[in-house]
Amino acid sequence: MALLEIDGISVQFGGLLAVDDASLSVREGCVTGLIGPNGAGKTTLFNVITGLQVPTGGHVMLDGVDVTKRRPYRRARLGIARTFQRLEAFGSLSARDNVLVALEMRRRWAKSRYDSGKVADELLERVGVANVADKRVESLPTGSARLVELARALATDPKVLLLDEPSSGLDEQETDAFGMLLHELTADGLAVLLVEHDMPLVMEACSYISVLDFGRVIAQGTPTEIQADPSVQRAYLGTAKSAS
Amino acid sequence: MSQRWSNLLVWAGTIAFIVFVSVSAWAGNPVNSTTLTNLVVLALPLAGIIALAASGLVVVYTTTGIFNFAQGAIGMFLAYVDWQLTVQWNVPQVVAVPLVVLVVAPLLGIGLDRAIMRHLQGKPLVVQLMVTVGLMFALIGLANMIWNQNNAHSMPQLFEGKGFHIGDVLLTWHRFITIMVAVALAIGLRILLFRTRIGIAMRAVVDNRDLAALGGARSSVLSSFAWALGCSLAALAGILLAPETADMSTTTLTFLIITAFAAAVVGRLRSVPLTYVGAVILALATAWMGSFLRFSDRWTNVPDALPTIMLFIVLLLLPRAEIQFARISAVRRVERVSTVRDTAIGMAVFFVFIALLAAFFLSSSNPTNTNRIALGMCTAILALSLVPLTGWTGQVSLAPLAFAGIGAVAYTRLGGAHGSVWAILFATLVTVPIGAFFAFPAMRLQGLYLALATLAFAAMVEEIFYTQPFAVGPGERAVVPVHIFGVDFSTPKSFLLLVTAVFGICACGIAALRRSPFGRRLIAMRDSEAASVTVGVNVLETKLVVFSLSAAIAGFAGAFYAMAFGTLNNAQGFQMVAGLPLVLALVIGGVGFVAGALFAGVFGLLTLMIQDNWHISLWIGLVYLAPGLAVLGIIQNPSGAVVPIGEGFARLLPWRKDAKQDYEEMTAANAEPEVGELGLERPFTEPDVLLVDRALGIANDVPRAVQSARTS
Repeated sequence: MALLEIDGISVQFGGLLAVDDASLSVREGCVTGLIGPNGAGKTTLFNVITGLQVPTGGHVMLDGVDVTKRRPYRRARLGIARTFQRLEAFGSLSARDNVLVALEMRRRWAKSRYDSGKVADELLERVGVANVADKRVESLPTGSARLVELARALATDPKVLLLDEPSSGLDEQETDAFGMLLHELTADGLAVLLVEHDMPLVMEACSYISVLDFGRVIAQGTPTEIQADPSVQRAYLGTAKSAS
Repeated sequence: MSQRWSNLLVWAGTIAFIVFVSVSAWAGNPVNSTTLTNLVVLALPLAGIIALAASGLVVVYTTTGIFNFAQGAIGMFLAYVDWQLTVQWNVPQVVAVPLVVLVVAPLLGIGLDRAIMRHLQGKPLVVQLMVTVGLMFALIGLANMIWNQNNAHSMPQLFEGKGFHIGDVLLTWHRFITIMVAVALAIGLRILLFRTRIGIAMRAVVDNRDLAALGGARSSVLSSFAWALGCSLAALAGILLAPETADMSTTTLTFLIITAFAAAVVGRLRSVPLTYVGAVILALATAWMGSFLRFSDRWTNVPDALPTIMLFIVLLLLPRAEIQFARISAVRRVERVSTVRDTAIGMAVFFVFIALLAAFFLSSSNPTNTNRIALGMCTAILALSLVPLTGWTGQVSLAPLAFAGIGAVAYTRLGGAHGSVWAILFATLVTVPIGAFFAFPAMRLQGLYLALATLAFAAMVEEIFYTQPFAVGPGERAVVPVHIFGVDFSTPKSFLLLVTAVFGICACGIAALRRSPFGRRLIAMRDSEAASVTVGVNVLETKLVVFSLSAAIAGFAGAFYAMAFGTLNNAQGFQMVAGLPLVLALVIGGVGFVAGALFAGVFGLLTLMIQDNWHISLWIGLVYLAPGLAVLGIIQNPSGAVVPIGEGFARLLPWRKDAKQDYEEMTAANAEPEVGELGLERPFTEPDVLLVDRALGIANDVPRAVQSARTS
């Protein structure tokens, strides 16, 4: 049994079926990739998992518990954390305060004791933005703001971490550092679901990949299997039929 | 599911309310074809006027996203222009009306758009709202200056009140024309919005401004057009309404807008046909109340409250808004969060200043000025109630004075008549459940709708609450200042020192709250509700706490208001309209800051002084005009006036070495040009490309971006 199970999720916006009977599972201790062309429904699926979008059908199971009907903040407390494709940092707070908000919430629900300020600084250090801890996030470049978002997500002490295009806005060096961080996090037992357009990063970091196209899961497998899959190539490169 | 149940509840409540009111206030007039025809003949012209005013609101809101509080004031002003032309200068209406509606109104609209409204895009909701509220006051002030309100003005009806009979009922040509104009415009607007290129573009803009711009829509042209059209509709409504009022009172004509809000909200501020439906329902209900029901004693003002009751009910029925994702803020600011220590030092200095003022400058024999300053301090305490709610959480409440009024009544009735300390506690607690109640609509309604719900609430409290025998009832109720530990604060000077100290303590509390985890959480929720729930913030719980807190502070302030007034008399001093300048002043000062609240208090004090001392009618207009003009400043500086004042001042303090650095950073940030409508209004240059790259986060460091821009 995987840590996070998505079972037959569908989302309909008016006449548009954004996600169509999608199922996938995310195991602990490894990175699961979710790739697909733009508009395939990846972010919508993330919104369903975190509870920001109510699905038309299907179930989300966390650790064997059905959380489909739970409110978003409850899921966060159960251990689902995420970052956003379009930045959702708390822009008028400093980087440290961004992380503190999450830490203070966790201290309330988990009743754990720690020095929030110290833990926040450690987290910022870990993702590599300790140098901008006192800057307002809206004044940071997108790459750094994304890393602040990552630190904030980690501050909730999640079991599952959903990352929505984390490498966009990062330069090559930062992307490499980010790849290393992913390895560390999964080594600690975290389950990661990664939406990413940077294929080298995906192929290197993921142990398992699902491919989404027009809201459907069209292929699942290891990176090597996915690279060889003809339907994936069709979805990405287009055929004469779909291109017209 | 819960949505369906809550809607059922609201509907059931509404029907029960209508039945109850109709039965208990039944006047016993016969219901027959004559009275019913009379009712319809009375209602339809009113519906026409409401619909015209409301559809102007809708056109402007759908196209520009600005909710125009000044729509009624614009109509009022233009009706006076028409009056000037026809009554004073004897221009025939056939010439004057087209001149006002087709030339003056569009020019005014385009001017407003270019000078003010266009610069409001992307500013916080409370700033957008308060700029139009300021415009409303400015227009009232201007009209009062030009057309002295001590002289009666009246505008003759079209065709001198002649008409024709339907059965036994006279329908004047004026009213007939009103109905026809409204119908013609309904058809015209429908064709405009659905059949013409510019109308379709206007509707596209509301769905997605950026997308419409990419598709080639010139949003600047569209917004000018919408404002021109909105002003023309306002002018028509004003000119048709003016002869129906007894004396063309500037305030009566202006506050037609509250009625129009109710109709426009039925159309969810987007649909013109539904707005017309709303206008007809409202007019029929008004005529029904006028014809068949009679209200007396404690219920006398119920008919006046009707539009706001309807507004409130319709708002409760609106569907739940989606979770809010962050909006990219167009506001550039470097703000330092004050430490509690700095706030405490500031408040101590301020207290000493007031004490010296009381000791050496304020007259003991004539306490007028002392009392005014004390009232100003009460206003400042009340303004503090909006700092966490509106300033940090971004939830706009236009009802602070209503909560204060409830607090004042609670203080008066629960021990304030003999100065009991417990009465202050009761005043603070009584408002908490009411404030908490607003957290529930705040979960469902987007910012603007919530603001309107609070406005409706304030109006309902004003019309219905104070006349109740358990509140103030008829006549006056005396209040004495509180006794604390045997100290009597009934002399004006001691009371002034008391409220100043109370403000100082509350201000330190608010400053401490801002630095607490709770304060951080409020700001996080405002910046991105979506992100805050994904880190485990329970939005309902948080909103419940902040709404309760805000209501408690307002109720607490209300107790001091009651002491400052000395007597409570109906709604005197707590009217809905009086609450708007308070919010306005707070926004001008800086809605997120303790110092902004103090600014609001000083502002209120100055207004009182002008009102009481300057009896020349020209200057009386300043009471309205001054805040209207001052609010223009917040377009340049949406954080409020206290920020630059504070930054300038802090640089002079020896222990604030960081202030200088902050100031330099901000100057550097402001030196960069706005990205804005680059490419639409002026061509791209190479530095612009870099700027856009940096705004999008594509370029992390400037030097490399410069390099790549040069090589490519």
